[in-house]
Amino acid sequence: MILSLTTAALPADVPDVKVPNLTLQQTTLSNGLHVILVPDHSAPVYAICITYNVGSRNEHPGRTGFAHLFEHMMFQGSENVGKGEHFILIFNNGGGMNGTTNSDRTNYFEELPKNQLDLGLFLEADRMRSLNITQANLDNQRNAVQEERRQGIDNQPYGRANLDLDNLVYDNFAYKHSTIGYMSDLNAASIDDVRAFFKTYYAPNNAVLTLVGDFDPTEALEKIKKYFGTIPEQPAPPKVDLHEEKHYGERMEIIYDPLARQPEIDMAYLIPPGNTEGNYAMQNLAIILGQGESSRLYQRLVKDKQLASNVSAFANARIGPSLLYISANPRPGVKVEDLQKGLDDEIAALVKDGVTQQELDKAKTLQLRQDIDRRRTVLSTAVLIGQYTVYFSEPELINTIFSKQNGITVEQVDAAAKEYLVNSQRAVVTTYPAANENADAKGAQ
Amino acid sequence: MSRIERRENRNTERYASRSSRAPVLTLAAAACLVLLPSLAGTAAAQGKATELSKVVRLNRAPVNKEVLQVKLPRPEVVHLSNGLTLLLLENHKLPTVSFSLWIKPGQLADPADLPGLAAFTADMLREGTEKRTSDQIATEVDSLGASLDAESDFGVSYTTVAASGLSSSTAQILDLMSDVVLHPTFPADELAKYKERELAGLEQNLSSPGFLAQQAFHRVLYGDFPAAITSPTKASIQKVTVDDLKKFHDQHYVPGNSILGVAGDFQSAEMRTLVEKYFGGWSGAAEAVEKLPDLPAAQASKITLVDRPGSVQTYIIAGNRGIRRGDPEYFDLAVMNQVLGGGPQSRLFLDLREVHGYTYGSYSRFSADIYPGEWQALAPVRTPVTDGSMTQFLHEFKKINDETVPQEELEEAQRAIVARFALSLEQPAQMLNSWLTVHYFDLPVDYWDVYPKHISSISASEVQNAAKKFVDLGHMQWVCVGDRKQIEDVLKKYGPVTVVNAEGQPEN
Repeated sequence: MILSLTTAALPADVPDVKVPNLTLQQTTLSNGLHVILVPDHSAPVYAICITYNVGSRNEHPGRTGFAHLFEHMMFQGSENVGKGEHFILIFNNGGGMNGTTNSDRTNYFEELPKNQLDLGLFLEADRMRSLNITQANLDNQRNAVQEERRQGIDNQPYGRANLDLDNLVYDNFAYKHSTIGYMSDLNAASIDDVRAFFKTYYAPNNAVLTLVGDFDPTEALEKIKKYFGTIPEQPAPPKVDLHEEKHYGERMEIIYDPLARQPEIDMAYLIPPGNTEGNYAMQNLAIILGQGESSRLYQRLVKDKQLASNVSAFANARIGPSLLYISANPRPGVKVEDLQKGLDDEIAALVKDGVTQQELDKAKTLQLRQDIDRRRTVLSTAVLIGQYTVYFSEPELINTIFSKQNGITVEQVDAAAKEYLVNSQRAVVTTYPAANENADAKGAQ
Repeated sequence: MSRIERRENRNTERYASRSSRAPVLTLAAAACLVLLPSLAGTAAAQGKATELSKVVRLNRAPVNKEVLQVKLPRPEVVHLSNGLTLLLLENHKLPTVSFSLWIKPGQLADPADLPGLAAFTADMLREGTEKRTSDQIATEVDSLGASLDAESDFGVSYTTVAASGLSSSTAQILDLMSDVVLHPTFPADELAKYKERELAGLEQNLSSPGFLAQQAFHRVLYGDFPAAITSPTKASIQKVTVDDLKKFHDQHYVPGNSILGVAGDFQSAEMRTLVEKYFGGWSGAAEAVEKLPDLPAAQASKITLVDRPGSVQTYIIAGNRGIRRGDPEYFDLAVMNQVLGGGPQSRLFLDLREVHGYTYGSYSRFSADIYPGEWQALAPVRTPVTDGSMTQFLHEFKKINDETVPQEELEEAQRAIVARFALSLEQPAQMLNSWLTVHYFDLPVDYWDVYPKHISSISASEVQNAAKKFVDLGHMQWVCVGDRKQIEDVLKKYGPVTVVNAEGQPEN
């Protein structure tokens, strides 16, 4: 039996559910490619994910957005696959695929019916071995990426605020700049940049291959060796220092946004790196503050005081210093300052009085549910294991995350709140509709 | 995100088979190759690359020519004595369970002077019952790690109430779900707060290019037919009363109008007993189906420009009215759409993005309900290439009208649709949805068994006929959301242009 059912040790107040334990079969090929196989025969499908240990954190000033532009180039053809043929082959055979880039990693994944195992392996191996780079294709994808930026940021209300917030809250360039990059830097990217980046980062020894689904592991490993085994290893890429120097004051910015019709407050607090006690504590805190209609900020600011029309909180878990975001829009007629004070009062109350056991149990139950849902498909499982491996060198986190989250105590959450929910650790970006720029912005609504 | 906003997102994505929308902050932090399925260079900064990038097929990758034959597992169907139809689909991979209740009718039944009534009623279910306050419901749902959402999407003929959570809390979830469906009280103070949130959400929506585009498109496509409406109005939000909600609920929320689907980790016999316990006391026979008004005649092709000053992109939609869910032409349209714009391997994406670099993504999609839904193609493009994008859209529309699809391309499109079935087998909630569709629209019980055969039997001439009917250039409605100053003259080259503002009022 491949899925052995183990009962996670959970206290009575967090539901006692059986989470299937996944058996990870790990191998490292002679060229350094880390292979993780997870057979799962619950549906006749499989997913492959190659996670490369490179993201926008590896970029240099003047080339922001390059890791992501490069990701697009991985679909422009390789020795045995034509430009655009990847889409055609995957979708016309009933599959799904994508590539995504964030600050810490770049991943490429496909999900296919089980009788197309060779197709997924071949496509990933061919472009790890040989990329076909032309000026016309680079120009074409530069356009596509710049449209992605316009569609997601420049043509959206508050798009600017989201970029500026990260820029404000970090000093270290690695996380300070956006993954999508500046337009001028995207314009500057050259064919030589693409070639050098490929050679430095797209080597088997800088990648993890996760294969999850309905296959025979012995046969699958043979095929992986056949397709990937002869791709040459490269020198290890340079390491990136993610250290963030101590901050000595709150950072603030005001934006007049021509596309916004209402003001918005966006805040970010620096919190510890992912997969640490402090980060797990802050994950719980974010849920207690702003996820779900019973959360503190929703209950107090949206329902009781009616200062906000909506509010949310979310903490991320990166390789390096991470962020807890809070975002809120004032209800029409409410002054931005009054909403800001409302937010600050709630945060101050939480830091002073701490959280209750009931709130913490609620947050843990929500995380348990979310973690189980992330195991729904072979694709999301393959993506998660690849990410845990590149981020924390801990593929088994797919199984152990349940007990790590559940082990967090009220005392740990309270201590983390006191340490990290402080103004000197945060940045605040306030957006006003541009129409208010020359009017009395303070009283705008 | 406000509830209106969430509804808008669902609305614009309701055609898609799979949908996900990352929170805005995550969107800013991560970047993808393609944003599926929604609408999620320098040399070329002027809009013209010196050399075009070409799509190339080398045909060297190892492809298994066999399509994996799979069968969607059928649910157990139970008819409860109170008229409620129950579908039970066991799947034990993970310890979760999901419920989906479809109630006829939805927004199409809204009174003309109260657009949004079905949605208001659905949204307010969670705001108080005979036993629980709004806060108690929120706390109970969150404490179970569950979700409980009711919605009545614009353009859809039914309301859905969906709940899901850990299978260890199945009874508590059912208890909550039945309480909000059977015994809501629509408290006046909660309604007052809800109105404030909705008004703010409506204002927020008016800044979204996608929302503005869909709003204008549905207005020109449907005229005074109810599907023209894509959101409530300021007036309807202010006007709606507790009595309106109670009346709508009492009249329509009855078991005879409803189907309840359950998928996940449970034993069918036990689930049936539980559903009897929580929904057995619900009563009310099916209503006579209210006749929808006649559709106004389709208008001659024109362009509606929604002025959004400051825009750096033009959001283009072009489309026509389509089909009802039960129409035999469903398969013809599905294959035609797959060829033209069903995915990144389809013509629109390869042309507008991979060759011309005008957009991050261009797709087409269709909806089908108890009235002729829509077929639409769309792409957000940077402002300077509005002209080029209109040209390429027209080129692709004419091509699929005038030329039969090559046999190989046709077979690939059919294979793409049929082979995808394997992937749905690991999504119990999605499979359940497929069966709810069959029962709601009275499709044959073997519908999904013979679906691949129907798709595979469509000929190239049937695809062309579908194109002539649904990619109908003579009646095509174009909507362009963007900066009027920069695009009005360009658009005039393609047809008569009407300019409106965000609220839909004509501009001179």
